[in-house]
Amino acid sequence: MTDQPIQNCGKCGLCLSVCPVYQVLKQEQASPRARLQLIKAFEKKDLSASPMLKDLVSQCLMCGACKVACPSGINHYAKFMDMREQLAKSRPDPPAIRSLIYLLAKEYRLHMGAGLARIGRRLTPAAVEKKYKIGAIPVSRFPEMNRRPFRSTLPRVSPAKGSPGGHSRGNPIGHSTGNPRGRVIYFTGCATNYMFAETGQATVNILTRLGYEVVIPDGQTCCGIPMMFHGARNQAVENMAVNLTAIQGAMREKDDDTLENTRDAAAENCDAVDEAYDAATKNCNAVIVDCTTCGAALKDEYPELMNTPAGSRHAALIQKINPGMPETIAAKTRDILSFLHDHIDDLAAAMKPDTPAHKVIYHAPCHSKNSFNSLPKILDLLKALPCFDYIPVSDAAACCGGGGTFFYEYPDISQKMMAKKLASARAAGADYWLTDCPVCRINLHGSLSEKDNLNVAHPVTLISKGLGE
Amino acid sequence: MISQDVKDQFTAIVDPTRWLDKKEQLTCYAYDAFVEESMPDAVIFPETTREVSQILALASAHKIPVTGRGAGTSVCGAPVPLHHGLVICFSKMDRIIEINTRDRYIIVEPGVVNADVQAALAPYGFFFPPDPGSMNSATIGGNIAQNAGGPRCLKYGVTLDYILSLEVVLASGKVITFGSKNIKDVTGYKLAALFCGSEGTLGLVTKATLKVVPLPETVKTIMATFKDLDDTAKAVTDIIGSGILPAAMELMDKLTLNAIEDKAGLGLDREAAGTLLIEVDGVAEACDKQIKQISEKLVANNAVNIQEAGSAADRERLWTARRSAYGVFAKLAPDIISEDVTVPVSRVPEMVRRIIQIADKHNLRVGVLAHAGDGNMHPMIPADKSNTEEWSRVVAAFDDIFQAAADLDGTLSGEHGIGLAKSKYLHLVMNQDTIEFMKTIKQAVDPDGILNPGKFV
Repeated sequence: MTDQPIQNCGKCGLCLSVCPVYQVLKQEQASPRARLQLIKAFEKKDLSASPMLKDLVSQCLMCGACKVACPSGINHYAKFMDMREQLAKSRPDPPAIRSLIYLLAKEYRLHMGAGLARIGRRLTPAAVEKKYKIGAIPVSRFPEMNRRPFRSTLPRVSPAKGSPGGHSRGNPIGHSTGNPRGRVIYFTGCATNYMFAETGQATVNILTRLGYEVVIPDGQTCCGIPMMFHGARNQAVENMAVNLTAIQGAMREKDDDTLENTRDAAAENCDAVDEAYDAATKNCNAVIVDCTTCGAALKDEYPELMNTPAGSRHAALIQKINPGMPETIAAKTRDILSFLHDHIDDLAAAMKPDTPAHKVIYHAPCHSKNSFNSLPKILDLLKALPCFDYIPVSDAAACCGGGGTFFYEYPDISQKMMAKKLASARAAGADYWLTDCPVCRINLHGSLSEKDNLNVAHPVTLISKGLGE
Repeated sequence: MISQDVKDQFTAIVDPTRWLDKKEQLTCYAYDAFVEESMPDAVIFPETTREVSQILALASAHKIPVTGRGAGTSVCGAPVPLHHGLVICFSKMDRIIEINTRDRYIIVEPGVVNADVQAALAPYGFFFPPDPGSMNSATIGGNIAQNAGGPRCLKYGVTLDYILSLEVVLASGKVITFGSKNIKDVTGYKLAALFCGSEGTLGLVTKATLKVVPLPETVKTIMATFKDLDDTAKAVTDIIGSGILPAAMELMDKLTLNAIEDKAGLGLDREAAGTLLIEVDGVAEACDKQIKQISEKLVANNAVNIQEAGSAADRERLWTARRSAYGVFAKLAPDIISEDVTVPVSRVPEMVRRIIQIADKHNLRVGVLAHAGDGNMHPMIPADKSNTEEWSRVVAAFDDIFQAAADLDGTLSGEHGIGLAKSKYLHLVMNQDTIEFMKTIKQAVDPDGILNPGKFV
């Protein structure tokens, strides 16, 4: 799966210049090139699955910058994930990480965990909150959990017509008057669902105001990337199958019959399948994500993963997914900000006349840069929309050191990455530090102190406010 | 192996976090961008000249081989510790000590990355001309050790031409400094020429004062394509021979161009047998005039298409693509050998023809890439080292290529260095007395032979 025809590292070292970890540590063993060499040595059995090997392989943000820069076309990302899976077998992650994976693997666990965390925060004395840290971040600077999961706060709309049992149903909310401009599926991700409800509210508000029907599929769960990064491929495949089924269900909303027929036709005629799917997916303009890591999963990982010969454990789950569906979803996956960039004039025109221009700086998350290449579009948005008074900072694209659980596992390295960013952010004199990744957001907010008068938010919240809610 | 007792003495010089000796760690210091690998016994990261001096004195006392390393982007195996021992990695000595554009110099530690020097100078309107393909990762210490070049060295000269002064630690641990902040300085031997390009066999640079030059007011880049590779090479000879001096003049054959295009997707002409990427710089009027003169020569040599890069961003994309040329070849086969034989520019067409004939003779693919304006060829052969039959043909082909270069009054290496790759060919371009003279110098400076042993001297 990971081995494309030829993947040879020419050892040219160009990756050193883009690797945030190498840039901080300035030691070869922290570079993407070294990790490939270590993997090679492990495969040749020159190295065993030692704790140090695990540490050297794990000391990586999985940001994908090396993959983008690599002239030899190496998919570092996939190679590192494979290696992490190998090492996880003999060298399990620490308990805190394993608990996280356990929670993320099932939506009900996550739901319960978020609830408990909320209660826990309520019960924790303020003094303790300030003193204890997760990674380098004081507990008091962690976001509070949503009072209720975001998705459960939205009005439920009954399906238009009867559906065969056993499939997740789309849950359309909001609609425009007159001819709707189109229909989008919104994959909310866990962070929006459990922590940053306002991101979800803003996303739905903007899309609805632009005239889109927004469908939030029932049954969606964690995208699976955290499991992949920690070598828990089985759980990841399960989550991915669940999500693909849920999104597929939402796509099918208007074309159940067509799709049912398609399945029958599938065995006989491939062209018929293609045509039917084209028809079936036409009622979805895009699969929207507000987190580009979830987006990278949908876009880059899902199609590949579904080709993994899964054990019998996943057979039943994978069977529910129609052939070609992962590719269709991948092709339609858009990050919300790039999607809004397509509507930049409409958005500017729709802003309230008295919209205040907030002074903002921006931090580009790794998957926005490396997977969606959205930075130029986001800067366009920030410059064009009247709700922003955009202040450029030279290191907007530098890594903050968040990296999934990296900030927890390697707080020293993470803090060094953050230090420079903090200095330039403080000097900019902005009111908002905008970013479109929940982990960056936790990390940026957590690294600022109460004295800093700098709010960390997703750009959609200010756009939504500008439009009026 | 380094004994526990000696290790304790090293870790008394530097903090133990700057000492690596576990197999997993050492695996990461066994290589550069060349094919040969060899593991060190330990890696040490000094942060000051004093530490380097103490490390070398201790290594000398125990006759431990010492190999210097920056970012490990050499393409000739220079930082590969062939005799194991200690790798001194300079990546943490990365301070820019002084920028003085009034007197036109910059003082840096060896671990500063070339691109960081450029970035630091740019706000002052200055730059440091050497621009090796690895400039975004490669360190100044490595640039000096290898006397690095790059495309724009055609007009501006190579690393050695920009060294005003060096601080060098000798094998004994003694620290010497020579040169000064002056552009003109004939006080004593020109020792910079001895150490620059010595590949860490004579001493280790711990501080460098480099000459910097003002950024040109205008830069223009054109790309010309040809139906015939021979015409492409003749155009190079014709342009340079007529007295025009572009800042850079890069030649790419079809294989190279397609490998680059696969990665970069710039819309390059995949059908062109030869492509020239030419850059001129200076005052705007002079650039326009040069572009006109060059275009005439290109047309006279049957160029089928001449295009000018519109924006600075377009130009940067072209050069980024060019710099990726080494890496893109890794897609073609498990291993790649890239050499950089250099010939007088009038011999470029003949050398290109011979490279292709030699590859054909040995039934190998070859990518012909060249900093053509200064005759610096980069034939690249993708192959599989584990296929011993094929690899023997690769070795035989390079034997022939080096011989051909020597026959055309050329030399073994224009900018990559000798390293592990080419010491056996020295006799083609140097007589025995000359080789002996180099050995005499080496013996005098490093009597125990601890500095980068197993290399060309």
